[in-house]
Amino acid sequence: MAAEPAAAVIPEAGFFPGLYTAVHAFWLAGMSCDGCSIAVTGATNPSVEDLLTGRLPGLPRIILHHPVLDVEAGERFVHWYELAALGELGAPYVVIYEGSVPDETVAAETGGYWSGMGVREVDGSPQPIPTAEWLRRLAPGAAAVIAIGTCATWGGIPAAAGNPTGAMSVMDFLGPDYRSALGLPVVNIPGCSPVGDNFTETVAAILLFLQGLGPLPEFDELGRPAWLFRETVHRQCTRGGYYEEGVFADEYGRRECLVKIGCWGPVVQCNITSRGAINHLGGCMNVGGVCIGCTMPGFPDRFSPFYKAPPGSAVSSTQVRFYGAVTRRLRRITNQFMNRETRWDEAGRVPSGWGRVDEPPAVYKLVHAVYDALRLRGADEPGRTRPEEQYAGGYEVPAVVARRRRGRR
Amino acid sequence: MCFKNLPVEFDEQGRPHLRSDVPNPYRYEVRSLAEQEERIRELLARNGYIRNVDFDPVTRVAGALAFHTVVDLKERKVLAANSMATLFRGYEVILKGRDPRDAAFISSRACGVCGGVHATTSCLALEMAFGIKPPPLGIVIRNMLLSIEYLYDHPLHLFLLAGPDYSQALVEKTNPSLWERAKQTEAPHAALHGFKTIGDIMAGLNPLSGSLYLEALQMTRLAREAYVVIGAKYPHPETVIPGGVTTTVSITTFNEIYRRLTELIDYSKKVVAIWDDLCDFFYDANPLYRQVGARPKNLADPGQWDDPEAYDASYERCAQWGERRWATPGIIINGEQVTTNLQLINVGLEEFVEHSYYEPWETYPFRADPLGAPLSPYHPWNKETKPRPTGQSWRDRYSWATSPRWDRQVVEAEPVARIWNTAVAGKLPHRRFLEPTGTSLKMSLPAGKMPAMELEWKVPADWNAFERNRGRAYCLAYSALIALDNWFYGMDLLKRGETRVHTKFEIPRSGRFIGVGFWGAGRGWLTHHAVIENGAIVNYQIITPSTINASPRDPWGNPGPYEEAVLNTPILEEFDRTENFVGIDILRAIRSFDPCMPCTTHIMVEGQDRMLVTEVNTCACGLDE
Repeated sequence: MAAEPAAAVIPEAGFFPGLYTAVHAFWLAGMSCDGCSIAVTGATNPSVEDLLTGRLPGLPRIILHHPVLDVEAGERFVHWYELAALGELGAPYVVIYEGSVPDETVAAETGGYWSGMGVREVDGSPQPIPTAEWLRRLAPGAAAVIAIGTCATWGGIPAAAGNPTGAMSVMDFLGPDYRSALGLPVVNIPGCSPVGDNFTETVAAILLFLQGLGPLPEFDELGRPAWLFRETVHRQCTRGGYYEEGVFADEYGRRECLVKIGCWGPVVQCNITSRGAINHLGGCMNVGGVCIGCTMPGFPDRFSPFYKAPPGSAVSSTQVRFYGAVTRRLRRITNQFMNRETRWDEAGRVPSGWGRVDEPPAVYKLVHAVYDALRLRGADEPGRTRPEEQYAGGYEVPAVVARRRRGRR
Repeated sequence: MCFKNLPVEFDEQGRPHLRSDVPNPYRYEVRSLAEQEERIRELLARNGYIRNVDFDPVTRVAGALAFHTVVDLKERKVLAANSMATLFRGYEVILKGRDPRDAAFISSRACGVCGGVHATTSCLALEMAFGIKPPPLGIVIRNMLLSIEYLYDHPLHLFLLAGPDYSQALVEKTNPSLWERAKQTEAPHAALHGFKTIGDIMAGLNPLSGSLYLEALQMTRLAREAYVVIGAKYPHPETVIPGGVTTTVSITTFNEIYRRLTELIDYSKKVVAIWDDLCDFFYDANPLYRQVGARPKNLADPGQWDDPEAYDASYERCAQWGERRWATPGIIINGEQVTTNLQLINVGLEEFVEHSYYEPWETYPFRADPLGAPLSPYHPWNKETKPRPTGQSWRDRYSWATSPRWDRQVVEAEPVARIWNTAVAGKLPHRRFLEPTGTSLKMSLPAGKMPAMELEWKVPADWNAFERNRGRAYCLAYSALIALDNWFYGMDLLKRGETRVHTKFEIPRSGRFIGVGFWGAGRGWLTHHAVIENGAIVNYQIITPSTINASPRDPWGNPGPYEEAVLNTPILEEFDRTENFVGIDILRAIRSFDPCMPCTTHIMVEGQDRMLVTEVNTCACGLDE
């Protein structure tokens, strides 16, 4: 929501004197599906309302120039874009770009355009202005250019093989030498669609840094927020344990690891399994969806066809099947004892009405005795077994005495 | 029978065939728009009170819509209207030559506002092509997912996009006398929604500060939380694939949805009360509001939400399984339902590009559908997407949208078409919560925090912007009940030990296969037509609700639904000088079709140095293929 510009440069008098209280954000969309905007409205931590109303202490209010939220902007709307492009805004601004950037030279060959924003007169008739022009004009003066979503970060679906428009990413469009007014290359927050909180969290982190209140956010060599995209999604996957034990789903709907039915998680950098999709719920593999690599520069073509096991999974899953099988069996033995109250050992039976629980076979007991010996090496068995652990004066807790007697019998 | 304009007749058994007495049965003459444009040009030159009013795509992001009108500010009439889609991404072209397994995930990205509707429609097309029948739980999970979708989508429309048009912020400015009246008018349903006067409701609709606006934003999140429990993420779900879903279903899955769903059912009771009060207030204040966004009652819908026992993915039985859907398919022409048969709905479909930035095509591979019914060369299975960007011209080409027509008539895509067709057909087999009466649809909403309630959506006497909005409020309740009905259906399947969610399939490496997915989006109609040869997609055609609604003129010069609705709209705005003209009535007409997020446009009055007002939107997905 656009508002009075003067607010942008008035320092906050309260807790954080001398800091910016407002920053402009210009949202631009090229060849997009609006899914990134939608994802951001789903963010909860912080939410868009939090950012736009400036209710987070220390964080400047964001004056968002976004077509949807700009309900009351009226004649001021485009005026702001123009001012920023001309360098006359008088306040810092960031550019947020959603969607990929088309190659307008292709469309211009036949006298047309792919993606328009605004009109201008050409030979007396109104003709659309290509969106790419706005990016070219606004990028140099911006404090930062943030590309949101896989179209803007890596070209995405509109740039897939066989596309007619020459679509490309913001980074491709602006080139390797691009630096923002603060010296930053393009910040990339990928995902198709991205996790809303990944975006709002990064924006908040950048702003807190600019205010001098937070650490410098770390970005990787492709401009991704490193703390969000450093790890593969597999490392944080709720099904990772199945992989470790070499157990794989062979059809959809099962709860095991999905790599044999098309999941690319082990080679894809993303955090959706740990963060969830919205308000910590959902997330692809958490729910049963295979990873199709939608956060990666190779998406979609390097992951096509979908639902087919990645060839790499044949190698890694064969290895893991071998040692996973051993691990799984050893764990099963231990698990069997962990499923027993110590009291049941004394009684020699499990008093469950749900089913018969067999006593562990002698060989398991032997294995577990070794396991217990290792467990207690250099430590004490719980339960007052040493003289110095007894009460002074020889007092004995009656229940302990009774249990010891029972044990002897 | 149902066709007036297509050269298709029916034999005694009711089977369609081509009329034999016409030499070139599908040929047509293109009506020139030059004369009309000249006339408007003269009017503009002669009269100062006739102005070009452009709802200009200055701030358009994504699937943008721009709108050009010529308005007679003295007679308060719209003389000309042109709807322009100004974005092309080429999804249909990208899909050509790909492995069919890519279709769902790639076409999903056509629209990020409409969650998983494209993925689902794509899966249905492939299921038909390859004869894949999903297991019952897979169908039920899909139904739940795609009904919960609307519990996010309809509030988004009603309060975040269209809502501000009825807010204090705008009404006070555009119609001061109406605002005065609103403050004095008691809200009939105050007990239900808690707002004492209509003015209070309007204040609640104020963007970013009104309680209704903020509540809706939160409700869209609540619905999406329920959605991602089975869809994994929003938009672009990760679990929808041909043959069912990949969701790992457990008691937790159902439980996470349970409470959220009941909360949303309660919310729908309130939303219906709000919009009933708002619409009736405007009608009472000025009966001419019944003309805002008015157009003939011509609506088309392919239905959605399949019956787990009836759906077998076959084209041969589509008429049967179609009629067992939770939303009955149907075509309504001039208020009369002419068919509920999915095959005929498909056969009547054509797409024209005379006024769009595409080249015509020459191929005609399918002269008949798989049941032998005649197909037009302009049918999606025959159409090819050949983009050719050129300059903008009102008499020639001015949009990236095409002109889909049914029986060569202008039909409208609408979520309201779902309840309308279901209500009048009376064929709905699922009646736990819903009861079609022939003239209305009765809905029984169970108690939550609010008491149980009976709602009745009645076929409206007028069809206009207000009824579209009111209808969407009822669609919120309707969709919530379908989600709940499927929730219980799913629990019952679990009870019976039915836990399979997916049917395995192979893509044959040779042979030719065709399929169509009939489904819906937040804005209505959605179809994907696929042709697959030797294991690769050779043609893929998407018809979205916004393609239909934003369409430019057809070869006969008939305006598309947005254009027609705007042409019928009277200018009721109060303005003393032309430079204060905002165009609120035109904006309400366009927005009532359900604008999507950021496809914003501006209105600019010619000859003045200022832009007025704000965004006009349409769904991103409609505006290119």
